[in-house]
Amino acid sequence: MTTSFEIKTKKTMGLAAMQGRGFYYPFDLAFDSNDRIYVLGRGHDYDPRGARITVMDMEEEYYGTFASFGDKDGQFIWPSSIAISNKDKIYVSDEYLNKITIMSTEGDLISSFGKFGNSEGEFDGPNGLVFDDNNQLYVVDHKNGRIQVFDEDGNYIRQFSSEGESEGKLNLPWGITHHSDDSLYISDWGNHRIQEFSTSGEFIRTIGAKGNNEKNLLHPSSCAIDDLGYIYISDWGNHKLKVFDNKGNFLCSNRGEATLSKWAQDFLDTNVQEKEARLKANLVFELESFEDDPFTESSHVEKLFWCPTSLSFHKEKLLIVDSSRHRIQVFNKVQKI
Amino acid sequence: MSNKDVMLMAHLMRRVGFGSSKDELEKYVKNGYDNQVDLIIDSEPNYEISKHLINRYQPDYGSPMGNTSNGASWLYKMIWSDSPFKEKISLFWHGIFATGYAKLANGIVLHDQIKMFSKFGLGNYRDLLIQLSKDPAMIIWLDNCESHKGAVNENYGRELLELFSMGTGNYTEKDIKEASRAFTGWTIANKDYMTTKSQRDSVWPYGRLAMHFEYKEDDHDGDEKIFLGEKGFFNGEDIIDIICKQKATAKFISRHMYSFFVEDEPPVPEWPYKEPNNPQAIELLSEVYFDTGYNIKEMLRFLFKSEFFKSEKVWNKRVKSPIELVAGTLRITKEFERPDKQQSSANSHTSFMGQHAMNPPSVEGWHWGTEWLDSGTVVERVNFSSSKLGNVNNSGIRKIIDNVKSNISNQDSTDFLIENILEELGSIIISKTTKDTLKDFIDSKINSLESLNDENMSELLQLIGAMPEFQRA
Repeated sequence: MTTSFEIKTKKTMGLAAMQGRGFYYPFDLAFDSNDRIYVLGRGHDYDPRGARITVMDMEEEYYGTFASFGDKDGQFIWPSSIAISNKDKIYVSDEYLNKITIMSTEGDLISSFGKFGNSEGEFDGPNGLVFDDNNQLYVVDHKNGRIQVFDEDGNYIRQFSSEGESEGKLNLPWGITHHSDDSLYISDWGNHRIQEFSTSGEFIRTIGAKGNNEKNLLHPSSCAIDDLGYIYISDWGNHKLKVFDNKGNFLCSNRGEATLSKWAQDFLDTNVQEKEARLKANLVFELESFEDDPFTESSHVEKLFWCPTSLSFHKEKLLIVDSSRHRIQVFNKVQKI
Repeated sequence: MSNKDVMLMAHLMRRVGFGSSKDELEKYVKNGYDNQVDLIIDSEPNYEISKHLINRYQPDYGSPMGNTSNGASWLYKMIWSDSPFKEKISLFWHGIFATGYAKLANGIVLHDQIKMFSKFGLGNYRDLLIQLSKDPAMIIWLDNCESHKGAVNENYGRELLELFSMGTGNYTEKDIKEASRAFTGWTIANKDYMTTKSQRDSVWPYGRLAMHFEYKEDDHDGDEKIFLGEKGFFNGEDIIDIICKQKATAKFISRHMYSFFVEDEPPVPEWPYKEPNNPQAIELLSEVYFDTGYNIKEMLRFLFKSEFFKSEKVWNKRVKSPIELVAGTLRITKEFERPDKQQSSANSHTSFMGQHAMNPPSVEGWHWGTEWLDSGTVVERVNFSSSKLGNVNNSGIRKIIDNVKSNISNQDSTDFLIENILEELGSIIISKTTKDTLKDFIDSKINSLESLNDENMSELLQLIGAMPEFQRA
């Protein structure tokens, strides 16, 4: 029997906003036990207001923001990833300050750990974060090319992998995902592949290889695994979502299908001049100048992914942080026929 | 390898790029001067990894919401590129076709304009002018999207003739009107939405959108026109064809090239009243312009191989623009081997010195030459270059210090030490007065050359960064 496979757009959430309701270069998100979403904004060097956490839910109810730009405790310079423990503590990595900040879901600072270096417990660009079922925190220490493991209080436990190109080694890795079979999937950004490890650090396999064709990857930033073991990858450099089966065979891809979010619609409804001009505009088109340059194409065509940085499942929904478009694209999970 | 060969190569590299290290100069001299010119002009840089690296850490550098990231992103290319000539060419055209953020409120279209200069900036001048006329940033900047059949806006037609091709005194007001009529219908797609967003400085709902050219036949004035003495049913391309045939165009673009690559000319508004510094050079370049079918690359190949370019009289005479000064200094210090937040700070210094990339003071662009130097900007320039050169923790400076220390012994003279440092910095030329100042400083600090420590070297490099000669190329 032939099985076809597809993913379908569910909706889009968010809005570009330097402050308040919305995101400014969001990099990652996490859910707490009450299904609230904490969206980590990166901001940028010339406008620090974007470095914050926006709290919302799947219905786009807005609950406020907390945290800010700066180098004091509880502030961020280059926030990169967010994870929430089973006790609803928020962990944020900052790849500039080289530390992990722990906060409550109300935004109160609990503690922080880490400093620059390459010894145990030190970081050179902490990046992706994930908890396993034992509440151990895995930190992608990306410029050191390794994964460090901590308890929930930030005490160092162990580390694995090292910088390199061969199997089991890492080159500027970014995201990390924990699978229910107790394995870890690491987005090996600089080597253009996903690598699977056991939680004890043994290399298991590689998925994907460098390229800009349908089946290959270019600087993947993140991945998520469904209950069938299918692997969903944010192919950052190709600006696509890619899906591989549990054996690592390519299944399908999606270039992005954003629609107007609730917040976006609210904006247009109150800015009538812009809304009317937009309604007359043709926002989907092809140009010769796009050639094989998806980055340029994404800068022109609004619905497409532009630098997707993070991807995760929540209750059968696939959420993709579409960073340079300041939104989250939500897809329905696998459709199998 | 003679010292003069090295000095000539250093002069070339300061002009085609932002300066080269001692090691690089020695390698280039072995190629031979003319071969090196050809290599520079014909080479293609590879930016791929740096582009991805930059965008990963500094996402606004690739998809700019504002304008400041554009300059910082461009600065990375100037610092990292193995072929900075490409960026120098884009900088050259940006100075002539100056387009600014203030009216556009969209960093992406400016980012794309610089990409266009990089792609077409060494080709045929006709093609470049056509691309410029289709460039969304220029179309908004000079209101061509507001120029319609029966309701002509003359801004673009006027500046095309005055600032982009012929210069004042070579055409009439009637020519401006006819050129403007020919460019009606040259606009951007989704014009109402894009201009509304620009006017409202709107980043909503999902950030800035890039723009593209659209030709509207029904908004084009297709009637007969008379332009520069020629009659026809001209469209924009025909106007550019006629412009490119003019001697005034050849002289205008030749004088720009001479001013940017050879020696500072007065600001453009003074050109109708002041003869070029070297009229013969302008004539020669104009001949190449026509002989090669308006080929910019061939004009520059001729220029760099000419005696008027190689002449010692023009070495180290041009005042570095702020962008040239900052890029050249950071290529020496090598402090941004990976993307770093401090890069944004370094880029801001070009604005403090009077040159905010993609945000010129007017459509006329910046006035180059000694106008870069006033009491405020000189302080900023000197502080920047001397603090950067004096930071021994920068890998480029560390290497220079280590090389100099390994080259000297107690038997060497202070002169030898100074020459060594200047060679390491790219064979900088200094006056006797400056050299005496450096010697006095060294003699006041150390008893013997072997006792030279990092602190002494830092102070000495700071002093070199503050020399008037370091402000020139």
